[in-house]
Parts: sequence; C-alpha cells; structure tokens
Amino acid sequence: MASTSRDGLALPKVQCPNHPDAILVEDYRAGDMICPCCGLVVGDRVIDVGSEWRTFSNEKALKDPSRVGDAQNPLLNGGDLTTMISKGTGAASFDEFGNSKYQNRRTMSSSDRAMLNAFKEISTMADRINLPRNIVDRTNNLFKQVYEQKSLKGRANDAIASACLYIACRQEGVPRTFKEICAVSRISKKEIGRCFKLILKALETSVDLITTGDFMSRFCSNLGLPKQVQMAATFIARKAVELDLVPGRSPISVAAAAIYMASQASAEKKTQKEIGDIAGVADVTIRQSYRLIYPRAAELFPPDFKFDTPVDKLPQL
Amino acid sequence: SESRAEPETGASNIVSTVNLGCPLDLKFIALQARNAEYNPKVGVYVHKIREPRTTALIFSSGKMVCTGAKSEEQSRLAARKYARVVQKLGFPARFLDFKIQNMVASCDVCFPIRLEGLVLTHQQFSSYEPELFPGLIYRMVKPRIVLLIFVSGKVVLTGNQVQHTHTHAQ
Repeated sequence: MASTSRDGLALPKVQCPNHPDAILVEDYRAGDMICPCCGLVVGDRVIDVGSEWRTFSNEKALKDPSRVGDAQNPLLNGGDLTTMISKGTGAASFDEFGNSKYQNRRTMSSSDRAMLNAFKEISTMADRINLPRNIVDRTNNLFKQVYEQKSLKGRANDAIASACLYIACRQEGVPRTFKEICAVSRISKKEIGRCFKLILKALETSVDLITTGDFMSRFCSNLGLPKQVQMAATFIARKAVELDLVPGRSPISVAAAAIYMASQASAEKKTQKEIGDIAGVADVTIRQSYRLIYPRAAELFPPDFKFDTPVDKLPQL
Repeated sequence: SESRAEPETGASNIVSTVNLGCPLDLKFIALQARNAEYNPKVGVYVHKIREPRTTALIFSSGKMVCTGAKSEEQSRLAARKYARVVQKLGFPARFLDFKIQNMVASCDVCFPIRLEGLVLTHQQFSSYEPELFPGLIYRMVKPRIVLLIFVSGKVVLTGNQVQHTHTHAQ
C-alpha cells in the first residue's frame, strides 16, 4: 500500500514497499497503480483526471454533455470562478407567464468582458491570416498589459488589439505590414499606427526595424515563385540596401522591386501589378524603386543565379 | 552619423497665444475688419494681415492664437497689430499673457543620413517606421523638442517654446 508521508518532506510518495525505486505503471481501466517488478497493486481507486467526454468541434450536439465547461485561461483572465445558470428545461422552470424563471445567465466577470471580447476579436483576426498560436498568445499578453495599464483607455479596443497583433508579429520575427493587418481589421492604417506608437511608449518596449528579408518568403510563395527566385530576390534586396541604392524607400517597396527584378530575370515573370497586389504597394512605387536599382542590376544578382533573361534584356521602366 | 557641419537654419513658423482681456463680438469684427473671415461652425474668426505675414484665430472670449510669424519679435508685433485692429473697432482690448507656444525650424546638414544606424544607437529616443512616415522622429529630452530627420539630410525641429534652446539644439 502507499507509504505515508513523512514529516519534513511534505508530499506523500506512492511507492511499492518492496521496490521503492520502481516507477509505477498506471492502469487506467481499473484505476490502479501497479509496480512493474513484482506486480503489486500499490495505489487503487486512483481518480482519472482525463476528460469525461470527447468533444469534436464539427459536431453540433444539441447539448454539450461536458460538465466542466471550457478550459480555463488563468493567465489572462484573473481567474474568475463564477456560477452561471443555463436555460432550464422541463415545465418547472417556467413561471406563470411563460417566462423562464432565473432568466438571467448572470453576467460573468463584467470588468473583464471587454478584454474577453478583444481576445475573441484577436483570435478572429489572426485566423484570417493564419497566424500560429504563439503569436496569438503573445498578442493576448500584450493586450492584457495595455488594458491593465489603462493609459490607452480612450482608444477603441479593436484598434489596440490590431496594434498588439502588429507588435506581436514583429516581436516574433515575422513582421506583417500595416496594410496586411488593415486587411483583417476594421481600423484604418492611421489609427493602427497611432495606437502602435502609443503602446510602445506605454509598455516601454521597442521593436526591431523591418528588413526586406522578413517578407520575402511570404510574398514569393503567394506569387508562386520557385525557391531560386526567392533566394535571388532576397539577395538583391539585401545588396541594394547595403549599397544604399534606395535611400529613404520603405523596405517593402524595395522588396517588391527586388522580387520584380528577380522574377523578370527568371522563367516565372510576374507583372508589377501582381507584385503590387500581394505586397500592398502601388505599382508606380515598384517602378520608382526598380528604376533606382536597375543601373546596378548586374552586381545585385547572386553569383550562382541562372538567368532565363540576361541582365541586359531586363525591362527598363 | 549625425549633424554639426555647416547647417543652414531658419525658423519657419512660430505659434503664440495672447489674451485680449475682453469678450468680443465676432460677427461685428468680421464685417468691419478687412481680411477677416468668420466661421460660425467653429465659433472663431480667422484674420490675416500682410505685414508681417501672419494669421490669427480670434475667439469670442477674447483669446487669440497667432501663427505664421518667422521670429519671436515678429510674432509679438503681429499680435499687437491684431489687438490694435480690435481696439479700433471699439473693444477695450489689452495685451495679456503673450506666450509663445511652439516654434518650428528647419535646417539642412548637407549630407545624407543613415536612419537605421541612428535608430540602433539611440533606441529610446528615436522612432523610425518607414511604413508610416519616411522620416525618423527623434525626441530629444533636454532640451525637450522633437526632430524629424530625413535621409536627405534635412531636419525639422519643433516643439520648443524658447528660441535660444532651439538654436542650441541645432
């Protein structure tokens, strides 16, 4: 049987009396813990902490038989334990007028209701651009910090949520352009930018500068360009920035121009309009940046690049 | 890489406020005075004079904001001229609390600036977001002003209220 606790070391350790070093094996079906060496049942009536029902997200059962509700989110919610009264069934729950008694599902954690709403909004936004769970968690954390600080209380929660999403993507090393965040949010780019600066000041953090390489893999795969072209474009953009051929141009525009040049030199030619659509830059902007890098095109390509169209035949705009 | 080499400077704008000390009837002034427009939606009237070339926003409470002057002295002079105009129309205007709120100046350091390098070394003061604005926003703590630094080498300084610290910052 289980050994009792000793004073001093508080936790009771369950171990086989004959083989104290043996690691016990759990038998779920019987609720036992068995020593593997001698087969002694060491602990019985072990409570199964697994879930009672398996719930599948696509099945919409009439009622959810789970008696424990959703997973708790203690890190972000401040751990409220509330009781909710669900809608009654059967005749007894209705009073004489036909209204249900206890009609109110008592509001839960009214102080954090806005925060819960924002988390849902963040999750929806992130889902639209397929962001991984770690970015969403980071965004939630940032939002919580900002919300508790209350320095940006006057701003729309959605704006703060969008800006938190932007910051989280940056912090994880996979920045999204403001325009991409705009596309999944109802807030204007200007407002998101303002909230972004305010949040950085409120949380006293800073973010790294965006580089051209951060966006290459995303833009190129959206355009369907092969890996060679993507690597070439990354190289071109980096070289262009090193040689300072494009002073003052936004890194996104430089990246777009580099992709254009690389794609035009390869078999997969893309038009400026297509690239502009994906990157969110105007095609005249691509044209401007392209004009700046065109003169030194020969040096910008990586040395082992296979040209489908040689450098001197590149389109000149 | 920063400045300190042969800058050409110049204050380009000064904003100041003054209290004329008496309530004003805006519609009356707007009708009588030349170069004045009344905007009832905002509740203010806009008065422009040509010498020194400035614009003043005058409120019915008697407070006035004067913008567009090129130097402190000019701003004060212009504000006095506005007050004189109001006085001539019969209101007992006085010249209380003349205060310069903001001064904008621009200068050129004559060589291109690498903004990325600047933001790496002065992270807590600089804010550079190429997607939002092509210039770097540098908030200097002492003296407390904001500079907009551009790649071309042009720098715009603003936020200051006293001129000599302005030139010192340059």
